[in-house]
Amino acid sequence: MDRRTVLKGLAGAGGLALSGLSAPAIAQGASARTLRFVPQANLANFDPIWGTQYVVRNAAALVWDTLYGVDSALQPQRQMVESEEVTDDGTTWSFKLRPGLKFHDGEPVLSKDVVASLTRWAARDPMGLMLKALQQELTAVDDRTFKWVLKQPFPKMLYALGKNNSPCAFIMPERIAQTDPFKQIGDYVGSGPMKFAKGEWVPGAKAVFEKFADYVPRQEKASWLAGGKQMLLDRVEWIVMPDPATAAAALQNGEIDWWENPIADLVPVLKKNKNISVDIGDPLGNVGSFRMNFLYPPFNDVRARRAVLMAMSQEDYMRALVGDDNSLWKPLPGFFTPDTPLYTEAGGEVLKGKRDLDAAKKLLAESGYSGQPVTCLVAQDQPITKAFGDVTADLLKKLGMNVDFVATDWGTVGSRRAQKTPPGQGGWNMFHTWHAGSDCINPAPYTAIRANGDKAWFGWPNSPGTEKEVTSWFEAKNLDEEKAAVTRLNKVALEDVVYAPTGFFLSYTAWRKNVSGITKGPLPFFWGVSKSA
Amino acid sequence: MLSYILRRIASTLPVMAIVALFVFSLLYIAPGDPAVVIAGDQASPEDVERIRQSLGLDRPFLIQFGSWVWRILHGDLGTSIFTNLPVSTMIGQRLGPTLSLMMVTLLLTIVVAVPLGVLAAWKAGSLIDRAIMAFAVFGFSLPVFVVGYVLAYIFALELEWLPVQGYTPLAQGVWPWLQNLILPAIALGCVYIALIARITRATMLEVLQQDYIRTARAKGLGQGGILFVHALKNAAVPIVTVIGIGIALLIGGAVVTESVFAIPGLGRLTIDAILRRDYPVIQGIVLLFSFVYVLVNLMIDVVYTIVDPRIRY
Repeated sequence: MDRRTVLKGLAGAGGLALSGLSAPAIAQGASARTLRFVPQANLANFDPIWGTQYVVRNAAALVWDTLYGVDSALQPQRQMVESEEVTDDGTTWSFKLRPGLKFHDGEPVLSKDVVASLTRWAARDPMGLMLKALQQELTAVDDRTFKWVLKQPFPKMLYALGKNNSPCAFIMPERIAQTDPFKQIGDYVGSGPMKFAKGEWVPGAKAVFEKFADYVPRQEKASWLAGGKQMLLDRVEWIVMPDPATAAAALQNGEIDWWENPIADLVPVLKKNKNISVDIGDPLGNVGSFRMNFLYPPFNDVRARRAVLMAMSQEDYMRALVGDDNSLWKPLPGFFTPDTPLYTEAGGEVLKGKRDLDAAKKLLAESGYSGQPVTCLVAQDQPITKAFGDVTADLLKKLGMNVDFVATDWGTVGSRRAQKTPPGQGGWNMFHTWHAGSDCINPAPYTAIRANGDKAWFGWPNSPGTEKEVTSWFEAKNLDEEKAAVTRLNKVALEDVVYAPTGFFLSYTAWRKNVSGITKGPLPFFWGVSKSA
Repeated sequence: MLSYILRRIASTLPVMAIVALFVFSLLYIAPGDPAVVIAGDQASPEDVERIRQSLGLDRPFLIQFGSWVWRILHGDLGTSIFTNLPVSTMIGQRLGPTLSLMMVTLLLTIVVAVPLGVLAAWKAGSLIDRAIMAFAVFGFSLPVFVVGYVLAYIFALELEWLPVQGYTPLAQGVWPWLQNLILPAIALGCVYIALIARITRATMLEVLQQDYIRTARAKGLGQGGILFVHALKNAAVPIVTVIGIGIALLIGGAVVTESVFAIPGLGRLTIDAILRRDYPVIQGIVLLFSFVYVLVNLMIDVVYTIVDPRIRY
């Protein structure tokens, strides 16, 4: 009997035992205005520009505000900004801040703070880097107005300032924002709806946020990072629980109120408990992926990459990950997030229909593959990559490939995948990962789709056709043009196999029923959330 | 004795230095890179390299090691790569829960295991003896996490007597502190109770065969006096040794227990630090653990002289 089986059985038994019971005694003493939340991962650092992990961004969204915020329709809306103007030639943007904005230390939010913050952000963010390359000047005009002058138009400006993928353009006081973007800040003052209780922070265990009384929310209804961020809670405690069974038991026992990412194995147990609500957490989900190294045989030959695509079954990957729950996955014959405006299946035939192993073997042989080892990196400590890696190993063997299966930890995969040396000398042929669906809605935040060779993400895909269409998207003037560009992009990226999408998958979130106001989104939003005793 | 203790403490310094060098070298050659973890999944190789430079990870081994030793000699364990907090602060935050867990577990172990072992030896061959030994085998065989989940299910989920997870500092009251530790201490203590009960029984059986015990019986001394005054005292040296080793082993056991019961102790900090390659934290913890091991050994030696005056240094 393994650990996972034991915890599943016991959590299941606990769920059955508790269903129908009222909140236990331990929960009764907790303040109704304190929400205890179990995040997806440990909040190990708290600089959202220096460290780009999703969990850092999620916590940072409580503490730091943004100039714009992307709403649930994926449109950037004004947040700290009251108004903006752009010149007819599209090169000069002037922004005016809302009056009355304050930082947690009582100081007003001024343009100089924004300029320093955007400067630091632009040094680390892919869109920021693009803006930086176009920048003529970024200056504070007066306390509430700042100006960004560019060498050429950048139509995606508002999206860049309001996007929700890491690093977000969070606004910090100038003294903090002047920190080298490659060094970590130690002062966590923001102007967001909650203050970070640094004194209570136990990294790896607990992080506490307290309501900022002077926060002035917008009057609009909240929608993701946009609109009025009304805090109905006085205190939010993030409690890190590395063991899913413990988190499940704590949720059932009323010791926590909201668990961001319950694992699929334990969801049936939670669903049986009448005190607990379970729903899809982020409708934008995730895009599974494995990447092949364009630098070395066999995958430097497009025929070998196409052979893998021709033989792979996304259903195998998804079943390995989510089991029998069909509501948790979709096939993804493309690269963009399903149910978003730019979603397309153009060129996706290769991933649809019956898998053709014989044709794939033939194509692989044509590529010149002659049995050399294929080094496949798999992080065993990440359930997603572990599941994907096992399926890939089986797939490659069926294709007649000689698999060098390197089962290791995420830290090692992360380090090794950066090696450009040949596979036999510390390099690799393929590795597995996944991308947040919110990063795959368009080419701007989508690092993994870029295919500019040496400058591209790990695997260093070189596909001039893909890059051409990325540029077309950036230059598109309306949604129709964007759609056309992305359709072409999807097709050429699949032809060149920039990477192999293993399917689209969702995950659940679970909370006690005395908590209300939880919305679906790419990150947990605490504004509008309340809790009764 | 005092000079002996001082000599022993002094002798720990080279041991810890060798451990430090070993650990530092091991981490240096181990695969994995904290800069990669920090940079995040979407980072470019250039971003990673910038972070490596800013952390000083691109410097040669000897310079990194020398710099670390220099800081240690000045009482500075360094700063966590990830949290930007001093390692000493992070260890300080986690020390309380781990020490509390170890203390309660140790107390529970001694209070339960030694009497059980004595009882088993006294009733050797009887049903009680066999039952105790069967319990010991059972306790020894069950992994900590299995015991932990079973206890949590029964006492937290079913009976709702105790919490599933967490830690409350002693400053907030003895009962709040204790209620978070009871289940983890039992889960962690099972193995040690089994181990010490078996050792106590075996040692006691040997001692009970000695001539002086026969003499004590012959002169009409009561069973309690024989067992606890004459036999147990003479059986104490190996028992103390095993308890001492148990303290050291508890550190390892605490890693799993702290995860199962979500206790923010040093065990979890160690695992987190290793997975993230947070070198300064790993080094600080290893130094601390080395010191604890050495200290425990020293304490065992001192206790020997108390329980057996024939032992002299």
